[in-house]
Amino acid sequence: MRITSLLPDIQYQMQQSQQAMATAEQQVSTGLRVNQLSDDPAASANMVVSLAESANIDQYTSNVNSVLPRMQAAGSALSSVVSSLNSAISLGTSGANSDLQAAQMQSIAAEVQSDLSSVISQANTAFNGVYLFGGSETTTPPFVAASTTYNSSQGSVGSPLTAATPLTAGSVTTISDATTGQTMTFKAQAGDTIATLQQAVTNAVSAGTLSAGTAATINAQGQLSIGTNNASDGIVVSTDDAALGTMSADPTTAVSNAYAYVGNGAVNSVQVGDSLSVAMNLPGNQLFTSGANVIGSLTSLITALQSGDTSQVGTAVNSVSSALTYVSNQRVPFDGAINQLNSEESYLGQEKVTLTTQQTSLVGINLADAATNLSQAQLDNSAVLAAAAKVMPQTLLDYLH
Amino acid sequence: MSLNASLSIAVQSLNAASGALQATNNNIANANTPGYTREVPVLQSQAPISIFGPGATVGDGVELTKFQSVRDELLQTQVQQETSSQSSANAQLSSLQQIEPTFTTSTQDIGTEMTALFSSISTLSTDPADSGSREAVISAGQNLADALNTASNTLTSQQASLNTQVTQDVSQINQLTKQIAALTPQINALEAAGQDGGTLEDQQDQLVLSLSKLTNVSITQGSDGVTLTTGNGTALVVGNQSFNLQTTTGNDGMTDVLDQNGTDITSSITGGDLGGSIQTRDTTISGLLTQLNTLANQFASAMNTAQTSGYDQNGDAGTDFFAASGAGGAISAGNITMAITDPSQIAASSDGSSGGNGNLVNFTNIQSTALPAGLTPGDAYANLVYQVGSLTSNAQAESTASTSTLLQLNDQLSSVSGVSIDQESANLIQYQNAYEAAARVVSTLQDMFTVTMSMGTAAAE
Repeated sequence: MRITSLLPDIQYQMQQSQQAMATAEQQVSTGLRVNQLSDDPAASANMVVSLAESANIDQYTSNVNSVLPRMQAAGSALSSVVSSLNSAISLGTSGANSDLQAAQMQSIAAEVQSDLSSVISQANTAFNGVYLFGGSETTTPPFVAASTTYNSSQGSVGSPLTAATPLTAGSVTTISDATTGQTMTFKAQAGDTIATLQQAVTNAVSAGTLSAGTAATINAQGQLSIGTNNASDGIVVSTDDAALGTMSADPTTAVSNAYAYVGNGAVNSVQVGDSLSVAMNLPGNQLFTSGANVIGSLTSLITALQSGDTSQVGTAVNSVSSALTYVSNQRVPFDGAINQLNSEESYLGQEKVTLTTQQTSLVGINLADAATNLSQAQLDNSAVLAAAAKVMPQTLLDYLH
Repeated sequence: MSLNASLSIAVQSLNAASGALQATNNNIANANTPGYTREVPVLQSQAPISIFGPGATVGDGVELTKFQSVRDELLQTQVQQETSSQSSANAQLSSLQQIEPTFTTSTQDIGTEMTALFSSISTLSTDPADSGSREAVISAGQNLADALNTASNTLTSQQASLNTQVTQDVSQINQLTKQIAALTPQINALEAAGQDGGTLEDQQDQLVLSLSKLTNVSITQGSDGVTLTTGNGTALVVGNQSFNLQTTTGNDGMTDVLDQNGTDITSSITGGDLGGSIQTRDTTISGLLTQLNTLANQFASAMNTAQTSGYDQNGDAGTDFFAASGAGGAISAGNITMAITDPSQIAASSDGSSGGNGNLVNFTNIQSTALPAGLTPGDAYANLVYQVGSLTSNAQAESTASTSTLLQLNDQLSSVSGVSIDQESANLIQYQNAYEAAARVVSTLQDMFTVTMSMGTAAAE
C-alpha cells in the first residue's frame, strides 16, 4: 500500500494511548473501575440496587439502635413492676396475719400504696419523651389519677351551655374509665350538639365501656359536667372541642388509688429487616389493667388491708400473685424481641460488610491492578510517542543534497 | 529526420518535463490541503514518422496531454458514508454524555432520594409522633420530587438543545447544497473540454464530505453533474440546482424537517449530525422520558394510595402525598411535587391515633412491590440507569469503531489520492533530469546546426 503520511495514524494512536492513560489515572485516583454509567452499565444498575439495599441495612440498624434502648428501658420498668408486685405480695402475706393490729394493717396498706405508686410511675415511664406504655399515644402519661367529675371551661351561669350547643365538627372527646379500663372516644360530626355527646355517653354506659351511672349533664354553673354517681368509679375526660374548652377534674372528686388509662391498645411495629418486624411496645392497658389486673389487684389489696379483713387480704394477695404471673408472661415475648434485636444488630453489621464488599467488586478496582494498568498505559504512551518521534522526521529530503 | 524535427521533439520534451514539474510543484504545494487529490501528468508519445523511407520509422516525441487527478470514487463514497455514521454516533454520544451525570449512583439522584424517602418513613415508624421525623419525610419527599424534576428537565432541555441543533444543521445543509450545485457548471465545462475537473472536483467532494457530516446522502454521478438525495430520496442537489430543506415546529414542540414541497421528512433522516440529533431527540431521550414519567406517575400513585389508606396525626383520613404542580393533570417526572406540606398530614396511623404507625408499612411495602409497569421503584430506576449507561456505551463504541474505520478508509483513499512528499521529491528529480536531458538534446542539436551551417563555409574556404 502506498503510504502518503503517517500523521493521522500517529495522532489517532497518541489519542488512544492518552485516553487509556487518563482512564488508568482516574482509576488510581478514585479507586473505582466504574466512574460513569457507560463504563459498565450492568454494574452501575446493580450498584443502584446494592446501594438501596445498603441504605436499608443502615436504616434497619438505625431502627434497632433507636428502638432497642427504648425497649430495654421498658424491660427495666417491667422489672421494677415485678419487684413492686413481689413486695406487695410479701407485704400482703404479712398483712394476712390475723394477729396484726389495725394500725399495723394501715401501715402495711401504706407500704402497698407506695408499691402501687411505684407501679404507676413505672407504667408512666418515658424514654426520650416517648411514653412507653401508652400504646400509640406516646406523648402523654398513659395512667392518670381519676376523678368522678370533669367540668368544661366553657359555659357559665350567664351564658350556659345547653343540649343544643353545637360541637365543633372533627373534634374528639374521650372519657377513660378507671373501673372498666376502657375509653369512649367521641368524634363530633357536622351538626352534632352536646345532646349528641350526651347520647353517646349513655350508649357507652349501656355497652359497658363506661361504668353505670356515668352521664354527661349541664351543671348549675352552665358547664358540661361528665361524671359518675359512684364515688369509687373514677374517670378522666379530655376534649379538643373549642365549644367545650378544657375539661378539668373537679379537685374535690378525686378517687383514691384510681387510675384511668388514657392511652390505647395499639402496638407499633418497626421494620428491622427485609422480612422482620418487631413489636416495639406493650400497651399499658394490656399490661396493667386487663387480664390479671395489676393496678386493680394492688388497689384491692390496699382496700383489703385498710379494711383489716384478713380474708379479703388473702384473696387480694392471690390476685396480686396472679398479676405477677401475668406480667411475667407478658414479658417473655417482649424480652424475646429485645434478644431478637440484639441478634439482628449483629446480622445487619455482617450484611453491611457483605454489601460493601459487593459494591467494591462491582465498581471498585484493586489498587495494585489500577497501578499496573497505569504503568502499562504510561509505557504504551511512551512507546507511541517514541515511535512517532522516530518516524515523523524521516523524509527523502533528509537524504537529498 | 531533419534537425528541425529533432529540435521540435526536444522542445516537446522540455515542455513535458516542465509541465510534469509544474504538476509536482502543485502536488507539493497542496500536500496538506484537505481533500486535495494528487495530479499526475498524462504523457503520450507521438505517432511514429517515417524518416528514411518505409520501415524506418521513429517516434515523434512526447506530448503532455493533460493533468489527471487520481481518484477512487468508491473509496470516496465509503469515506462519505462512514463520515456520516461517525457524525451520527458523535451527536448521540455528545447528548448522552450530558444526560449521563443525571442518572448517577451517588448523591441527589433519583435512586438515592427514593431510598432516603423510604429511610425517613422507616425512621418515622420508630416514633410516629416526632415532628422532626415527620418533617424529614416531607423534606425527603420533596427531594425526590426535585430529583425527578431535575432529571426530566435535563432530558427536555437536551431535546430543546437538539431542536436548535436541527435548525442549525438544516441551515448548513442548505448552504452546502447551494455551493455544491454552484460548482457543477464549472466542472461540466472543464469535462466538456476534455479536461479533468481537478481542484473544482476536489472542492465539490469536500463540500459533499461536509454535507455527509450533517446527514446521510446518496450520490449519483450523471451527465449533468452530481445528484444528491437524502436517505428517503428527497433531492438536495440535481446538477446545478439545489433544493432547500425547511424547519417547522410540530405539535409536540419538536423542530421538524420538511422538504422543498413542505412534506415532513423528519423520521426518514438518518446519519450525520442531523440524523443523530433527531434519533437522540425523538427515540432515545423520548423513550427515557416516557419511562421516567411512568416511574414518577406510578410511584406517586402508590404513595398516594398508601397515604389515603391511613390517618394523619389529627386523626383525619390521609390525603394525597404527591401531586402535579402547576396546571395539574397527570403526575409526571416534570411536574411531581409534594401535595402535603404540613408534617402532621402524614398518614402514619392506621387507627386514627396520633402516635400510630400501622399505616407506614403500606409506604415501606412500596419499595419491594412491583409497580404496574412490572418492576419495583428501585429496579425501575436501576433499569433506567442501565439504559442510559448502555446507550452511552454503545454510542461510544460506535463512535470509536467509526473513527477507526474512517481512519483506515482515509488511509486507503490517501494511498490512492494523497500526496507523498517522498514520491513527489523523487518525481522532482526525475522530471528535472528529464528536463536537463532535453536541454542537452537542444544543446547538441544546436552544435549540429552549427556544424551543418559551417559545412558550406569550410568547403568554400
